[in-house]
Amino acid sequence: MLRFILRRMVFSVGVLLVVSAVIFLLTHLVPGSPAIIVLGADASSEQVREFERRYGLDRPLAVQYLAWLRDIVLHGDFGRSYISGQPISGEVARTFPVTLEIVILAFLFCVSVSLPLGIVSALYQGRLVDHVARIFAVIGVSVPGFWLGLMLIVYGAVHLRLFPPGGFIPWSAGLGPHLQSVVLPALALGVYYTAIISRMTRSSMIEVAAQDYIRTARAMGLSRRRVLQYALKNALIPVVSVSAMSVGYMFGWAIIIEQVFNIAGLSRALLSAIFQRDYYTVQAVVLVITTVFITANVAADVVYRLLDPKIRGVAA
Amino acid sequence: MTTPQHGSPLAAGLDRRSFLRTAVLGASAASLAPFAGAWSVEGAEKVLTIAVPNNPSTFDPVNAANHDAMVVSQTIFENLVEVDPDGTLRPQLAVAMPKVSADRRVYTFDLRDNISFQDGQKLTAEDVKYSFEYVLDPKNNALRRPLFNRISRVVVESPTRVRFELSEPYRPWLYYLTKYMGIFPKGSREKHGADYFKTTPIGVGTGPGVFVEWRQNDQVVLKKSPNYWRKGLPYWDRLVIRTIPEDSVRVAYLTTGNVDVISAPPPKDFVRLKGVSGIKGESKPTMGGWFFLMTNTKKAPFDDVNVRKAISHAIDRQTIAKRVYYDLVDPVAIPAPPRGWWFSKEANDLNDFDLEKARAYLKKSRHPNGFEFEMMIPSQPYLLDVKDAAVVIQSQLAKLNININTRILEQGVLLQQLRLGNHVSALQVWMSPGEPTYMIDLCYGKDNVFSKSSGYENPELLKAIRESYHETDEQALKPVFARMLRILAEDSPHIWMGFVHSTNLWRDSVKGFEVNQGLTMRVKDVDKA
Repeated sequence: MLRFILRRMVFSVGVLLVVSAVIFLLTHLVPGSPAIIVLGADASSEQVREFERRYGLDRPLAVQYLAWLRDIVLHGDFGRSYISGQPISGEVARTFPVTLEIVILAFLFCVSVSLPLGIVSALYQGRLVDHVARIFAVIGVSVPGFWLGLMLIVYGAVHLRLFPPGGFIPWSAGLGPHLQSVVLPALALGVYYTAIISRMTRSSMIEVAAQDYIRTARAMGLSRRRVLQYALKNALIPVVSVSAMSVGYMFGWAIIIEQVFNIAGLSRALLSAIFQRDYYTVQAVVLVITTVFITANVAADVVYRLLDPKIRGVAA
Repeated sequence: MTTPQHGSPLAAGLDRRSFLRTAVLGASAASLAPFAGAWSVEGAEKVLTIAVPNNPSTFDPVNAANHDAMVVSQTIFENLVEVDPDGTLRPQLAVAMPKVSADRRVYTFDLRDNISFQDGQKLTAEDVKYSFEYVLDPKNNALRRPLFNRISRVVVESPTRVRFELSEPYRPWLYYLTKYMGIFPKGSREKHGADYFKTTPIGVGTGPGVFVEWRQNDQVVLKKSPNYWRKGLPYWDRLVIRTIPEDSVRVAYLTTGNVDVISAPPPKDFVRLKGVSGIKGESKPTMGGWFFLMTNTKKAPFDDVNVRKAISHAIDRQTIAKRVYYDLVDPVAIPAPPRGWWFSKEANDLNDFDLEKARAYLKKSRHPNGFEFEMMIPSQPYLLDVKDAAVVIQSQLAKLNININTRILEQGVLLQQLRLGNHVSALQVWMSPGEPTYMIDLCYGKDNVFSKSSGYENPELLKAIRESYHETDEQALKPVFARMLRILAEDSPHIWMGFVHSTNLWRDSVKGFEVNQGLTMRVKDVDKA
């Protein structure tokens, strides 16, 4: 297992390198100088040139890329933002935990609702609970995250006044206000994957329930509870994999959620940096999100191997 | 695969309640129970919270670009004179308006004697000289240097008197101070470095707000200056400027009382919300907020003046202003606001909506049977969303068999295209200091930053612009501007739609708030009950 993890990690570093090059290239190929955004539309050509010289944007792309990569690898330095002039590492350190907390809460919501819902739907297939779960799933998958977020704000914050309309209130302001500030964003972020995973759990459970070994187990007189445990363990293999991957995807979806809920997290920093052509911030944040995604991927593989003995013998 | 119709084999005999209980427990654990109590934590301090849609990029007034975010620099820094919310020049750090020499080249200011910087240091004429010399020194690469580069010398006559000598008469420069200049202590740039003014300008202004912190994409916090020269002001102890890009979320923050004042509410919501109990709203026409179609006179079909005139006459601006922007745009067909003293009805009539004239011009043009052209539109609205207006224009021009192909571009990319003159046309909203010649010179002046956006050159216009710099009296200036506007109306290098309003909504607990025609919120005199 250790060798497997090490091998995956080495492979992941390679993927990160390729991703970093692609991000760098794509970001710099977008037409329009960041100077226009930072200095304003009426900046003169000399001022634009001076800005580009100051930030090294007038150098060849390959030189810029290698210098950027060197600073990250040797010094852990993502560079400075054109906009704020502050080190991006500090910005990432400040915003990453915000997004991470929302994603974790969304994931917890997702798992704690989708698994029971999927299992119950499978067990009572065709019954009322199954139909209700299906309706929830269709709505959950169909409703756009930004719209759901706005609806939660309208009803949860504006009408009922149970939650703030947005913003991230730190722990230091008190546990209650803090949790209130993250409930709606986590809910808006988690609903889509709750719907997906609940349907996946249901179909997986139904498929496993029809297998010969379940019938054999029941024929041998095993208790219902024990039979369910066996079925669940097998049915959860694909579900666990998708759940782990959903953490990575949620970091991407958080862009919309953080924008709607006005949360100064990592994903909002990315969106803002894109609009402001803050190249270094865009590159740094995408790299961080890619790392999270790859980590989630590796974690999914590891859990997969732990759950399924058949895979353990197969070389990665 | 067999799938039983009514429950799987596993369900038989299983305790259904235990499953339901598990599911309900899981759901409850995740949907954390709301806690009672307010979420905005305030102590005994009086905190004024305002919301703007855009992030600041700098707090240094000499490099300022974003009009929303200027609320920060204008609360930290002050100037010799200021433009008030109605667009009138008033003395600020100066005791009175300057004495101007007969040849309009020398401006003498007397400073107030009771002004200190936020760090306690007394303001003198030396600080004023230092601040202007910093901006004028090309080495410092101040973004706004071109606006002041006619100042050839700044002379300190006494600790409270300073004299500005100009290389040539240049009336507009006083109007640019509020947005693009600030007075800072002598030696402060060398002491702190340029980035200090950009990101953490603590103690270097004379304004009522002292910089505390800036969290990117989140908020800027200022605190009350104990040394502010206007005694008793500001009323707030702390000013929080929040960045909330989403229109509807900004409105939700206001309605739930999480912010006290918001800028740029969506026009539709503005009309509805200003009548809601507990919320007040007001709009004021800006003097420099252009809404216009930037046509490129170097490219077909806009290389034909008859085409430009046909389009100008074919656009029903009143309908757009009323139906799309709920009267938050003043419709005009020339580059002058209808409420500005330099507005010329005669010039406006030369360009205004008249379908018969539109047809006549089209007939005279090189495209009598109609044509199609590309119109660029910004993906992210700045000040106003122009997408709906573009659709209305599209349908209005279709009556003349003129078809528009819209192309949505990110604003930064679009601006680059405009600077280079690569566009055919672009629908834009721009904000400026409101001085009559600022935008005219920028777009139609010789070799200016956006000269290529029109590709237009007219020596008569340049002569009129220059002439306007030499005069300071409004009455004497009116005929000069009438001539300038007539030239522009006849040639229509761009097609003007109107002037945008500055709009704000605020909680009724806020006292003394006044909408600023210059767009940037003014919070110096604002109190909160």
